[in-house]
Amino acid sequence: MSDQMGLELLIASGAELPEAGAVRASSRLKSRIYSRLVQEQAADGPLLSLSKTKAAGRALCVFENLVQIAPVGETAGRANYCRVCHARVAGERIESAPIYWPHCPYVLFQNR
Amino acid sequence: MLPPRSVVREFLENRAGMPSDITMPPGPVASNTLDCDKSLADAVRRKDRKATAEFVQRHADAIYSYILIRVRPNAADADDLSQDVFLAAWQCIGDYKGTSPLRAWLFGIARHKVEDYYRARLRVSDLDEAGAIAAIEAPLDSALDERRTRQRTVAALDRLREDYRLLLKWRYWDQKRTAEIASALGRTEKAVERMLARAREHFRREWEAHS
Repeated sequence: MSDQMGLELLIASGAELPEAGAVRASSRLKSRIYSRLVQEQAADGPLLSLSKTKAAGRALCVFENLVQIAPVGETAGRANYCRVCHARVAGERIESAPIYWPHCPYVLFQNR
Repeated sequence: MLPPRSVVREFLENRAGMPSDITMPPGPVASNTLDCDKSLADAVRRKDRKATAEFVQRHADAIYSYILIRVRPNAADADDLSQDVFLAAWQCIGDYKGTSPLRAWLFGIARHKVEDYYRARLRVSDLDEAGAIAAIEAPLDSALDERRTRQRTVAALDRLREDYRLLLKWRYWDQKRTAEIASALGRTEKAVERMLARAREHFRREWEAHS
């Protein structure tokens, strides 16, 4: 058996890593990716308003719901509230963060 | 008994961890899946924060898994590259036309990011390092069971120095031709071939040392 053939055989065998199909991104990584994406989106102009988000059939978290029903105008609903939410801080730093309320993206990312 | 070369090739083409969408034409995809992907991409482009969360939740595991097996054991690099993939996707989300699955499109970005990573890491390594390549006489033990073989292969690769490990993964897992690697690195084919020979030699030593 040539070196080349031997290595190809070994790599071929090894390519099917035990965790290749099963490995999951940590919830901290997903949280960081999401935070960064929304940060980039917000830097490029206002986000889609909360009322339009809700109208598109996507549920809001408890804090976003409060903002959405408050008489603060459409502009307020375009801000990135996750930026100042403790769920973001916990989600980015703690695996299996103790956050549980519905429709929060950082809760969605938890690998539980 | 070793499998014939054609079997190895077939295995490589269908290897786990490498999404088939990249190397082979995608099979028939349900149009509602594509519609769903297009709808999600459009919502992300409109800066719908909830759609963005769904986008990350749906695809982060697959992208991370794809990257991790190529850069391991550097898990921190896999984190950074995964984030880079999603940022690049956001920057060009308007280019996604919905003609292929969104995940396949993301894998395309991930493949480029991994290649950039290989190129950057290998450019700083000494491809012209001198050193004789000793002849290897010891045959590989073909009687090892498949699971053990996999574990040994992964372990041997992990013990290699980074440039050798990345070069072998680039050449054999991603099936890049020597000429393509040389072009990407701005080196001669001879230089890359020499380094590949050294990488194979070190791989074999690691393989045999822990048999």
